[in-house]
Amino acid sequence: MRLMYKRAAPHGSSKVFCAGVLGFVALVMLAGCSESDPEPETPGTRALVSLVTAEQYRNSLSYIFGPGVDLQVEFAPVARTEGLLANSAAIAGIGSSQLQGIQGVAASVASQVLDTKHRNYLVPCRPESIDGPDEACATRFLSRVGRLLFRRALTDDEVAMHVKQAGSAAEQLESFYAGLEIALEGMLISPEGLFVVERAEPDPENPGQLRLDAYSLASRLSYFLWNSAPDDELLAAAESGELQASGGLERAVDRMLASPRLAEGMRAFLDDMFAFDEVKTLTKDSTIYPEFTRVTAEDAREQTLRTSIEHLLANDGDYRDLFTTRSTVMSPALAIIYGVPAEPGWTPHTFPDDSPRSGLLTQVSFLSLHAHPGRSSVTLRGQALRERFLCQTVPEPPPGIDFSVVSNPDANYPTQRQRVRAHLETPSCAGCHRITDPIGLSLERFDGAGGFRLTENGAVIDASGGLDGFEFEGAVGLGKALRENPELPRCLVQRVYSYGTGAPPAMEARPALDYFNAEFAARGYRLRELLRTIALSKAFSRVQNDPGEESNPEYQEESRISVASSR
Amino acid sequence: MSQFEAANTLHNCPLSLRTISAAALLMSLGSVAMAGAPDGGRIGYVLTERHWALYQTEGAREECPQGFNIGPREQYDELFPEDSGVERTEVDTRLMREGRRFHRTTADEDPFPFHDAQGTTAYGLNLDGKVSDEDFLSPEGEDGIDNQLHRAIGCISIYRGPDGTFYHFSNLFMYGNAYNRWMIELSGVDDLANDNEVTVTFYRGLDDLVTDASGKGFVAGGTQRVDMRWGQSFIQEVQGSIVDGVLTTQPTDRTKFPWSFPGIGGGFHLFRDFQLKLTLTPKTAEGILAGYVDVEQYNHRLNRNWTTHHQSYGQLSAASLYRAMKRLADGHPDPDTGANTAISAAVDVIMHQVHIVHPGQQSAD
Repeated sequence: MRLMYKRAAPHGSSKVFCAGVLGFVALVMLAGCSESDPEPETPGTRALVSLVTAEQYRNSLSYIFGPGVDLQVEFAPVARTEGLLANSAAIAGIGSSQLQGIQGVAASVASQVLDTKHRNYLVPCRPESIDGPDEACATRFLSRVGRLLFRRALTDDEVAMHVKQAGSAAEQLESFYAGLEIALEGMLISPEGLFVVERAEPDPENPGQLRLDAYSLASRLSYFLWNSAPDDELLAAAESGELQASGGLERAVDRMLASPRLAEGMRAFLDDMFAFDEVKTLTKDSTIYPEFTRVTAEDAREQTLRTSIEHLLANDGDYRDLFTTRSTVMSPALAIIYGVPAEPGWTPHTFPDDSPRSGLLTQVSFLSLHAHPGRSSVTLRGQALRERFLCQTVPEPPPGIDFSVVSNPDANYPTQRQRVRAHLETPSCAGCHRITDPIGLSLERFDGAGGFRLTENGAVIDASGGLDGFEFEGAVGLGKALRENPELPRCLVQRVYSYGTGAPPAMEARPALDYFNAEFAARGYRLRELLRTIALSKAFSRVQNDPGEESNPEYQEESRISVASSR
Repeated sequence: MSQFEAANTLHNCPLSLRTISAAALLMSLGSVAMAGAPDGGRIGYVLTERHWALYQTEGAREECPQGFNIGPREQYDELFPEDSGVERTEVDTRLMREGRRFHRTTADEDPFPFHDAQGTTAYGLNLDGKVSDEDFLSPEGEDGIDNQLHRAIGCISIYRGPDGTFYHFSNLFMYGNAYNRWMIELSGVDDLANDNEVTVTFYRGLDDLVTDASGKGFVAGGTQRVDMRWGQSFIQEVQGSIVDGVLTTQPTDRTKFPWSFPGIGGGFHLFRDFQLKLTLTPKTAEGILAGYVDVEQYNHRLNRNWTTHHQSYGQLSAASLYRAMKRLADGHPDPDTGANTAISAAVDVIMHQVHIVHPGQQSAD
């Protein structure tokens, strides 16, 4: 199995695979891995300290306090690492200005939770007097909220500290609820809440190995599947030991997979994988594409997410079919680009069999996001397909490139195909463009806004293209070729595992990825099954380190001595 | 530049609007010729711009050599000068003047001179098929143009583009108020460039217009649901023909055309012999709608929708205009009195292609 795994090639030149070889590899892989194959032994991932995302923070607060509390939460953006923003959460920090912003949110949330409108149902008790401290009631409220915010039960000392703070403030402000508000605000900006600190413990079933402790496992599961902190039931399972008892993890994972919250979690994953954060900065030249507005861009993102969730979760569909499906949803703003009618709101829409649209690659989100403001781009589309869906990396262009060769309007070259031919005639460009442009050329019947066209500058567009040895005509052919590309599901597996564990997979994770790939294939490329396989795997819960121990000064000193002696 | 700005700019110069329109027509004819039949032989358009069609020359030298008419405030000052030393009551002054808006009369002579638009040129259609002395010549040279409303309102600044407040707000409120969502649907179209027999149905829509990225212009391709509940009285079917990309419809006996302002229900005009002359492309329909406008309904609508305060910003005296319209009315005489009840008029319109969804029809293809 190790030999069968082919990691995404780091450089473009090695990315054009022979279809026959790939087909053979896929066949061997399918034949070699059956459902009964056990998970191979791997060292697991690193336990991490990660900053929660704004959406995770918002989702968690929404779960704790309900939808009635207004949550305007925005964090500073993080860089994308190996295809995912989630891979950067463990290397993100909070600056002082950002902390001020979070404090503003915390103050607002605390104020709302304890105002007269909300406190009667969000605070589980009534104080003896509203004019001063009430230790018992403050303890009930703060220990309950703190457990959900910090994703673990608070220690007695921690509870006492927060209750004391609430009491002191209540005395000064002569108000029980004002005091509670101060204590809650402090909790909301506590590093314990903003950072997920994964902790390790010895694995009793595998002496010498470490595993996530129950609370850390609960958090990893919850952020993975729901993009939110663990709920009360999952925390209870962690507290009681049920989560790590026999069958406990299966029960917890199955409950989470059956929950409506899974859709929100997978929307977050797909949004990250599709790099839809770039939609926020997507602009089009309004003189060229006047019909493309901010609403169009946001609806395009929403359309692809809704299409994906409907197909993958509601219909339990084959992941690969996302690239050939003609079923989607439509909004009035998008309908203008697609040239179809649409009633207000989101309505189901099926493109007819003779439509040039099928699959995600023909949706406005992909076509417009990977294009220039005023024109299409065969290179950007080809690059995006390889990077987003095949987990390959297309190198940056070498310095000193003369882009006028391809961007200079020349009546002798009315179509993109003719203009980008220069890419292939220039040796420094050809290496990469051979793996991007044939993909993008097959999408040329869609302009930079995603609208369909048959001609460009009066010339009929030739939409023939190629992908890794397959040649085809147009976007429908591209979708079919991509569907059959063995790297397509493998890339999803890599992204899902990476997303769930918070970092790009290390080399030693290859056997686990092979196992996930085989299981994914054996189960019909169903996302829910893949999530289950990964969530239940040892590769998900096993860790190589304990960040808590690593931050211990004694540990650091031991490590220093160890490094010095090895020299 | 938005369509509104474009229209405003174009109305500054009588040559430019029509010259550009002609150029656009020539350009669009090519696309129309290539267009062929729309899907299912049907294509819809929704109104996105409309103004009373006025022929304007620079500085109004040609059509208003005597200057513009005065409005409520100027007339009030003349009638009731502050330095006259006469003590007057509210009833005899302000309320009397206000009453004139709603209890219109031609029994007494207008104490103020009214300046009709002069000249021989106006936009519009030959509604009666005749060429008579009071008719105009169109800027394109067509004789027999009936547009007496042009004479009545051509020298009232509120109606003149691009700065007249009625010109501006009337259009602004059209796209902001779904009551005005007027649509046409052509059916039985074999060729959008030439078809001697098409059916044109008027509807009122329910949905917002779709603006472009600037938020000021409009784009083709939106969707409108037909208002079958409160819009029944606006539904009407006529026959028409398309020649070289220009749709011309047969005159209707009577057509109700929505023209309402925000918060005021029921604003509409009644047209007699209502006709369309529109240049069609797959994305737009531009040109003129024309007919004889019912004078009483015109003034009822005007005064319900546009207060004296607003009329003053543009020197529109409703009482004076009413007298002028009654004097210039040229169609549909009252069978008892013989007095004309309607005045010939034309409206500049721009429409954008829209998918019209009928009740019970799935919007998805």
